[in-house]
Amino acid sequence: MTKMKKILFITILAVLALGLGACTGRRVVAAGWSGVTADEETVYFSYGPQAYAVSLKNGVQQWKYPAEPISGVDFYAAPVFTPDGEQLILASYKNEIHSISPDSGIKNWSYSVPADSRTSARFIDSPLTSEKGIFAPASNNTLYALDLNGNLLWEYQTEDPLWASPIWSENCECLYQVSMDHHLYALDAESGSLRWKSEDLGGPIVSPPAITDSGLIIVSTFNNEVIALNESSQEVEWRFTTSNWAWASPLVNGEQVYVSDISGNFYALELATGDILWQIQPGGGIYDAPLVKDELIYISTDTSSLVIVNQEGVVQGNQPVEGKLYAGPISGGDKLLLAPSESEYYLIALNQSGVQTWGFPPADK
Amino acid sequence: MWDAFITLMINILLFIYNLIGQNFGWAIIIFTVLVRVVTYPLTAQQTKSSKAMQELQNSKKWQDIQKKYKDDKETLAQKQMEIYKEMGIKPFGSCLPLLIQFPIIIGLYQAIIRTLAVTPLQLVNLSKHINDGANLIPINSQFWWMELSEPERLPIFGIGIPILAILVVITSYIQTKMISPSGGAPSDGGQGAQMTQAMTLYMPFLMGYLALTFASGLGLYFIASNLATIAQYMITGQANFKNILPKLPNFNR
Repeated sequence: MTKMKKILFITILAVLALGLGACTGRRVVAAGWSGVTADEETVYFSYGPQAYAVSLKNGVQQWKYPAEPISGVDFYAAPVFTPDGEQLILASYKNEIHSISPDSGIKNWSYSVPADSRTSARFIDSPLTSEKGIFAPASNNTLYALDLNGNLLWEYQTEDPLWASPIWSENCECLYQVSMDHHLYALDAESGSLRWKSEDLGGPIVSPPAITDSGLIIVSTFNNEVIALNESSQEVEWRFTTSNWAWASPLVNGEQVYVSDISGNFYALELATGDILWQIQPGGGIYDAPLVKDELIYISTDTSSLVIVNQEGVVQGNQPVEGKLYAGPISGGDKLLLAPSESEYYLIALNQSGVQTWGFPPADK
Repeated sequence: MWDAFITLMINILLFIYNLIGQNFGWAIIIFTVLVRVVTYPLTAQQTKSSKAMQELQNSKKWQDIQKKYKDDKETLAQKQMEIYKEMGIKPFGSCLPLLIQFPIIIGLYQAIIRTLAVTPLQLVNLSKHINDGANLIPINSQFWWMELSEPERLPIFGIGIPILAILVVITSYIQTKMISPSGGAPSDGGQGAQMTQAMTLYMPFLMGYLALTFASGLGLYFIASNLATIAQYMITGQANFKNILPKLPNFNR
């Protein structure tokens, strides 16, 4: 074979391999956006192979977990505290739930989902933690209930993957879990038995519902709808049609509820009736709930900007950010925390004037 | 342009998926066969050009000029061009159809992988390619013993055997062997033969490695594609069984 032909041959093989690699991107294709939790002093977040604890004051890393990445194990769900504040629960994209010390980042225990020959259990969203246990929704259609020492209490199976955290209802003293199988499930937290199941809500549901004190459960669906269910009657109270898939969780603020869709429409609805109060289209898809702080609404969009709106729907400002904002903004102390994707920073802290006070690239990045 | 092409591929794939009762494994197989049928004229042209080139390189006239001008590359090239012209052969006639098929194949891979959206960012990406179809989500990616969005292993006595990757290697090898000309070798110093041998050896293993490590939906595509190619060659009487089982009589037309 001539040198030229050898080069050509190897080039063809390389292009083919790279072409396929580029198509598939990641081998088991694990990719989400960062989940963030903050207390008064520290912000905890997960992104890719590790979770981090960072000082809220100056963005200095306190620890990372695991100390070294484990091949094939990623974390995207926000770490969550147990009610006593002694444990930070971290769910992975590969079959495991970890309990770590919030102070040191040292592992207390971990729970591994029993191996299935076919399907990995990806924990896309955070577990719900309460005195009754840890309730972790997984992409293998299963809600896992663990006690606070990591022992399995029960499992509940739905028809399709679970991408959204369950929520706790004081009214029925039960869990509500939404599923991509179009249903909302009310489950007994002690036993995992089904209390009731909603009618088919028309489309997959990938974000936690909002719940009001009056017993209204508000659900965003991919059927271009936001639906309010009455907790007592289990009937639909109202429906609101969006322009595209409603991905983000609704957010209740007084007598209003804020909903959005992936075309970038943001709506304020009357909580009791679902009637539209105002609508804006700040630009860019909206994939997570907004933050209401100091009478202002902060909306993350996937077009590199944080949009600030007052409660009458008038845009007050637009904060450009490097990267895409799929994750909603989080409040931490006097700061606003953003976790952009496709950015050099995993986390950005803004002060009250919207000025970046620090960004967090990990020390070894 | 490329994005629009991928969007088209994804929507055809989803259309088939919905039509056949939401089985993504069968959707991949049917779509692969359809693409093979649609691109058949290109494959046929490529085969025809390759065959003509093969015959030319085995001809006495060709071999004579190789010997005569072996130390004068410039004149050799000139003479070769004259022979091409005289016999109406386009030297790159077999490359062009391949180049046209290449983006179609890559597009097909991308459509399969993007449709198997199993993480939030993948679903965001998919949502930008489909106008409607929320009711098809999540895609049912269970097929036989496989989860098409993950690398495949079939547990046998507690050991995960990569059946799909093994089948990819076997079918790729058979396909490459079957479409190679008998004896494989043009006698022009063995360059073509070496190239063919290298392809026969490396390509199945490359494909097998990809099937081993990437989502099994790709492995399924490779097998469907290989079997479709083998069937195509058998139907048109161009399959060269003697390369696989040398004792067989030659069934070539």
